[in-house]
Amino acid sequence: MSDTGEADVKAQAGALSLADVRAAVNGVALWCPDDSPAVSGIVAADLMSDVLVDARPGYVLVTGLVNVQVIRTAAIADLAAVVFARGKTVPADVVDLARQMNVPVFASHDKLFEAAGRLYALLGGGPAGPGRRRQA
Amino acid sequence: MTDAEFVRAYEIAGADFTNAGRASTGIKETLKNMGLPSALIRRVAIAAYEAEMNTVMYARRGTMTLRVTPEDVTIDVRDEGPGIPDITLAMQEGYSTATPEMREMGFGAGMGLPNIRRNTDELVITSEVNRGTALMMTVHVS
Repeated sequence: MSDTGEADVKAQAGALSLADVRAAVNGVALWCPDDSPAVSGIVAADLMSDVLVDARPGYVLVTGLVNVQVIRTAAIADLAAVVFARGKTVPADVVDLARQMNVPVFASHDKLFEAAGRLYALLGGGPAGPGRRRQA
Repeated sequence: MTDAEFVRAYEIAGADFTNAGRASTGIKETLKNMGLPSALIRRVAIAAYEAEMNTVMYARRGTMTLRVTPEDVTIDVRDEGPGIPDITLAMQEGYSTATPEMREMGFGAGMGLPNIRRNTDELVITSEVNRGTALMMTVHVS
Protein backbone atom coordinates (compact mmCIF):
# COMPACT_ATOMS: atom_id res chain seq x y z
CA MET A 1 0.00 0.00 0.00
CA SER A 2 1.00 3.58 0.58
CA ASP A 3 0.51 4.43 -3.05
CA THR A 4 -0.68 7.97 -2.74
CA GLY A 5 -2.70 9.76 -5.37
CA GLU A 6 -3.56 13.32 -4.67
CA ALA A 7 -6.19 15.39 -6.31
CA ASP A 8 -6.24 18.66 -4.50
CA VAL A 9 -8.89 20.86 -5.97
CA LYS A 10 -10.55 23.90 -4.53
CA ALA A 11 -14.32 24.01 -4.65
CA GLN A 12 -16.29 27.01 -5.76
CA ALA A 13 -17.26 28.79 -2.56
CA GLY A 14 -20.40 27.25 -1.13
CA ALA A 15 -21.13 25.32 -4.31
CA LEU A 16 -20.71 21.84 -2.88
CA SER A 17 -22.13 20.11 0.18
CA LEU A 18 -21.43 16.83 1.94
CA ALA A 19 -24.65 15.51 0.37
CA ASP A 20 -23.24 16.24 -3.12
CA VAL A 21 -19.99 14.43 -2.24
CA ARG A 22 -21.86 11.41 -0.90
CA ALA A 23 -24.05 11.22 -4.02
CA ALA A 24 -21.08 11.56 -6.39
CA VAL A 25 -19.28 8.53 -4.96
CA ASN A 26 -22.48 6.50 -4.30
CA GLY A 27 -21.52 6.65 -0.66
CA VAL A 28 -23.23 5.36 2.43
CA ALA A 29 -23.23 7.57 5.50
CA LEU A 30 -21.65 5.68 8.40
CA TRP A 31 -22.05 8.70 10.61
CA CYS A 32 -23.26 12.09 9.40
CA PRO A 33 -25.72 14.05 11.52
CA ASP A 34 -25.94 16.83 8.92
CA ASP A 35 -24.97 16.62 5.25
CA SER A 36 -25.65 20.26 4.41
CA PRO A 37 -22.28 21.85 5.36
CA ALA A 38 -20.26 23.27 2.49
CA VAL A 39 -17.11 21.53 1.30
CA SER A 40 -14.13 23.72 0.43
CA GLY A 41 -12.11 21.12 -1.50
CA ILE A 42 -11.07 17.51 -1.85
CA VAL A 43 -7.84 15.72 -0.98
CA ALA A 44 -7.21 12.06 -1.87
CA ALA A 45 -4.35 10.20 -0.18
CA ASP A 46 -3.40 7.14 1.85
CA LEU A 47 -0.54 8.80 3.68
CA MET A 48 -1.76 11.01 6.49
CA SER A 49 1.32 13.26 6.48
CA ASP A 50 0.48 14.13 2.87
CA VAL A 51 -3.05 14.99 3.99
CA LEU A 52 -1.62 17.27 6.67
CA VAL A 53 0.43 19.06 4.00
CA ASP A 54 -2.19 19.35 1.26
CA ALA A 55 -5.58 19.68 2.93
CA ARG A 56 -7.12 22.96 3.97
CA PRO A 57 -9.94 23.42 6.51
CA GLY A 58 -13.25 22.19 5.13
CA TYR A 59 -11.75 19.69 2.69
CA VAL A 60 -13.12 16.16 2.33
CA LEU A 61 -10.52 13.39 2.55
CA VAL A 62 -10.94 10.41 0.23
CA THR A 63 -8.75 7.51 1.31
CA GLY A 64 -8.20 3.79 1.04
CA LEU A 65 -6.72 3.67 4.53
CA VAL A 66 -9.12 2.48 7.22
CA ASN A 67 -8.01 3.06 10.81
CA VAL A 68 -8.43 5.46 13.71
CA GLN A 69 -5.51 7.63 12.58
CA VAL A 70 -7.56 8.74 9.58
CA ILE A 71 -10.18 10.16 11.94
CA ARG A 72 -7.59 11.81 14.19
CA THR A 73 -5.91 13.34 11.14
CA ALA A 74 -9.23 14.68 9.87
CA ALA A 75 -10.01 16.22 13.26
CA ILE A 76 -6.54 17.75 13.65
CA ALA A 77 -6.69 19.28 10.15
CA ASP A 78 -10.29 20.60 10.49
CA LEU A 79 -11.54 18.49 7.57
CA ALA A 80 -15.25 18.43 6.68
CA ALA A 81 -15.57 14.63 6.29
CA VAL A 82 -13.86 11.38 5.30
CA VAL A 83 -14.85 9.07 2.44
CA PHE A 84 -13.48 5.53 2.83
CA ALA A 85 -13.00 4.17 -0.70
CA ARG A 86 -12.55 0.66 -2.12
CA GLY A 87 -15.55 -0.82 -0.26
CA LYS A 88 -13.39 -1.72 2.70
CA THR A 89 -15.10 -2.67 5.92
CA VAL A 90 -14.88 0.18 8.36
CA PRO A 91 -14.40 -1.13 11.92
CA ALA A 92 -16.82 -0.01 14.63
CA ASP A 93 -14.05 1.68 16.64
CA VAL A 94 -13.30 3.94 13.68
CA VAL A 95 -16.95 5.01 13.38
CA ASP A 96 -17.20 5.45 17.15
CA LEU A 97 -14.16 7.73 17.17
CA ALA A 98 -15.60 9.69 14.21
CA ARG A 99 -18.77 10.26 16.23
CA GLN A 100 -16.78 11.31 19.30
CA MET A 101 -14.64 13.70 17.28
CA ASN A 102 -17.53 15.01 15.17
CA VAL A 103 -16.05 13.90 11.84
CA PRO A 104 -18.72 12.78 9.31
CA VAL A 105 -17.72 9.50 7.60
CA PHE A 106 -18.94 7.83 4.41
CA ALA A 107 -18.13 4.53 2.70
CA SER A 108 -17.92 4.05 -1.05
CA HIS A 109 -17.26 1.03 -3.25
CA ASP A 110 -15.38 3.23 -5.73
CA LYS A 111 -11.65 2.74 -6.05
CA LEU A 112 -9.67 5.68 -4.69
CA PHE A 113 -8.81 6.82 -8.23
CA GLU A 114 -12.47 6.58 -9.34
CA ALA A 115 -13.80 8.44 -6.30
CA ALA A 116 -11.18 11.17 -6.69
CA GLY A 117 -11.98 11.42 -10.42
CA ARG A 118 -15.72 11.79 -9.85
CA LEU A 119 -15.16 14.47 -7.23
CA TYR A 120 -12.62 16.25 -9.42
CA ALA A 121 -15.22 16.37 -12.20
CA LEU A 122 -17.92 17.48 -9.76
CA LEU A 123 -15.74 20.39 -8.74
CA GLY A 124 -15.35 21.43 -12.34
CA GLY A 125 -11.71 20.45 -12.36
CA GLY A 126 -11.62 19.99 -16.14
CA PRO A 127 -9.46 17.35 -17.81
CA ALA A 128 -7.91 14.89 -15.40
CA GLY A 129 -4.49 15.96 -14.30
CA PRO A 130 -2.44 16.47 -11.20
CA GLY A 131 -3.88 18.83 -8.66
CA ARG A 132 -2.02 21.92 -7.66
CA ARG A 133 0.46 20.92 -5.01
CA ARG A 134 0.30 23.59 -2.39
CA GLN A 135 3.34 25.31 -0.99
CA ALA A 136 2.75 26.36 2.59
CA MET B 1 8.08 32.61 33.51
CA THR B 2 5.11 34.89 33.97
CA ASP B 3 1.79 34.63 35.77
CA ALA B 4 0.14 34.40 32.38
CA GLU B 5 1.91 31.18 31.46
CA PHE B 6 -0.21 28.05 31.06
CA VAL B 7 1.54 24.66 31.20
CA ARG B 8 0.18 21.16 30.64
CA ALA B 9 2.13 17.92 30.09
CA TYR B 10 1.04 14.78 28.27
CA GLU B 11 2.57 11.31 28.39
CA ILE B 12 3.09 9.40 25.12
CA ALA B 13 3.53 5.63 25.02
CA GLY B 14 5.72 4.14 22.28
CA ALA B 15 4.03 1.75 19.82
CA ASP B 16 0.56 2.57 21.16
CA PHE B 17 -1.10 3.23 17.82
CA THR B 18 -4.61 3.05 19.28
CA ASN B 19 -4.10 6.15 21.41
CA ALA B 20 -1.65 7.92 19.13
CA GLY B 21 -2.90 11.44 18.55
CA ARG B 22 -4.79 11.83 21.81
CA ALA B 23 -2.27 14.24 23.30
CA SER B 24 -2.39 16.46 20.21
CA THR B 25 -6.17 16.35 20.22
CA GLY B 26 -6.08 17.42 23.88
CA ILE B 27 -3.75 20.29 23.02
CA LYS B 28 -6.05 21.40 20.23
CA GLU B 29 -9.07 21.39 22.56
CA THR B 30 -7.15 23.34 25.21
CA LEU B 31 -6.14 26.04 22.72
CA LYS B 32 -9.70 26.23 21.38
CA ASN B 33 -11.02 26.77 24.89
CA MET B 34 -8.50 29.61 25.29
CA GLY B 35 -10.06 31.30 22.28
CA LEU B 36 -6.90 31.45 20.16
CA PRO B 37 -7.31 31.99 16.37
CA SER B 38 -8.31 28.81 14.51
CA ALA B 39 -5.50 29.10 11.93
CA LEU B 40 -2.90 29.25 14.72
CA ILE B 41 -4.51 26.31 16.55
CA ARG B 42 -4.44 24.24 13.36
CA ARG B 43 -0.71 24.89 12.83
CA VAL B 44 0.10 23.94 16.42
CA ALA B 45 -2.13 20.85 16.25
CA ILE B 46 -0.53 19.58 13.03
CA ALA B 47 3.01 20.09 14.37
CA ALA B 48 2.09 18.41 17.67
CA TYR B 49 0.42 15.49 15.91
CA GLU B 50 3.41 14.82 13.65
CA ALA B 51 5.74 14.94 16.66
CA GLU B 52 3.46 12.67 18.66
CA MET B 53 3.29 10.14 15.81
CA ASN B 54 7.09 10.18 15.55
CA THR B 55 7.32 9.42 19.27
CA VAL B 56 4.77 6.59 19.03
CA MET B 57 6.48 5.11 15.97
CA TYR B 58 10.11 5.31 17.02
CA ALA B 59 10.47 5.82 20.76
CA ARG B 60 9.78 3.79 23.89
CA ARG B 61 8.05 6.68 25.58
CA GLY B 62 7.92 10.42 25.60
CA THR B 63 6.40 13.54 27.09
CA MET B 64 4.83 16.48 25.32
CA THR B 65 4.57 19.74 27.24
CA LEU B 66 2.36 22.58 26.09
CA ARG B 67 3.21 26.11 27.21
CA VAL B 68 1.08 29.09 26.32
CA THR B 69 1.96 32.72 26.98
CA PRO B 70 0.41 35.86 25.49
CA GLU B 71 3.29 35.84 22.97
CA ASP B 72 3.90 32.19 22.08
CA VAL B 73 2.58 28.66 22.01
CA THR B 74 5.45 26.27 22.68
CA ILE B 75 5.45 22.49 22.56
CA ASP B 76 8.39 20.62 23.99
CA VAL B 77 8.58 16.95 23.02
CA ARG B 78 11.18 14.70 24.64
CA ASP B 79 11.44 11.01 23.97
CA GLU B 80 13.49 8.03 25.07
CA GLY B 81 14.37 6.20 21.89
CA PRO B 82 16.89 5.52 19.15
CA GLY B 83 17.63 9.18 18.40
CA ILE B 84 18.25 10.66 14.96
CA PRO B 85 21.78 10.02 13.64
CA ASP B 86 21.58 12.66 10.89
CA ILE B 87 19.09 15.46 11.55
CA THR B 88 19.83 17.24 8.26
CA LEU B 89 18.93 14.08 6.37
CA ALA B 90 15.79 13.56 8.48
CA MET B 91 14.63 17.09 7.61
CA GLN B 92 14.61 16.29 3.89
CA GLU B 93 11.13 15.72 2.46
CA GLY B 94 10.66 12.08 1.58
CA TYR B 95 13.51 10.70 3.70
CA SER B 96 12.13 8.02 5.98
CA THR B 97 13.26 5.08 8.05
CA ALA B 98 9.69 3.90 8.64
CA THR B 99 8.76 0.24 8.73
CA PRO B 100 5.92 -1.26 6.65
CA GLU B 101 3.82 -1.40 9.84
CA MET B 102 4.22 2.36 10.32
CA ARG B 103 3.23 2.96 6.69
CA GLU B 104 0.15 0.81 7.14
CA MET B 105 -0.93 3.31 9.79
CA GLY B 106 -0.65 6.05 7.17
CA PHE B 107 2.61 7.53 8.42
CA GLY B 108 6.28 7.25 7.52
CA ALA B 109 6.08 9.28 4.31
CA GLY B 110 9.19 11.20 5.24
CA MET B 111 7.13 14.35 5.74
CA GLY B 112 6.95 14.47 9.53
CA LEU B 113 9.82 16.78 10.43
CA PRO B 114 9.46 18.95 7.29
CA ASN B 115 5.77 19.29 8.09
CA ILE B 116 6.60 20.35 11.65
CA ARG B 117 9.02 22.97 10.32
CA ARG B 118 6.37 24.21 7.87
CA ASN B 119 3.84 24.76 10.65
CA THR B 120 6.09 26.35 13.27
CA ASP B 121 7.90 29.67 13.54
CA GLU B 122 10.82 28.17 15.45
CA LEU B 123 12.00 24.58 15.62
CA VAL B 124 14.99 23.29 17.58
CA ILE B 125 15.88 19.61 17.35
CA THR B 126 18.47 17.94 19.53
CA SER B 127 19.13 14.23 19.46
CA GLU B 128 21.48 11.67 20.89
CA VAL B 129 21.72 8.25 19.29
CA ASN B 130 20.40 5.46 21.53
CA ARG B 131 19.20 8.04 24.08
CA GLY B 132 16.44 10.10 22.55
CA THR B 133 15.27 13.19 20.73
CA ALA B 134 13.96 16.55 21.86
CA LEU B 135 11.92 18.96 19.76
CA MET B 136 11.15 22.51 20.85
CA MET B 137 8.43 23.92 18.61
CA THR B 138 7.22 27.51 18.84
CA VAL B 139 4.38 29.29 17.12
CA HIS B 140 4.08 33.02 17.70
CA VAL B 141 0.66 34.21 18.81
CA SER B 142 0.97 37.69 17.33
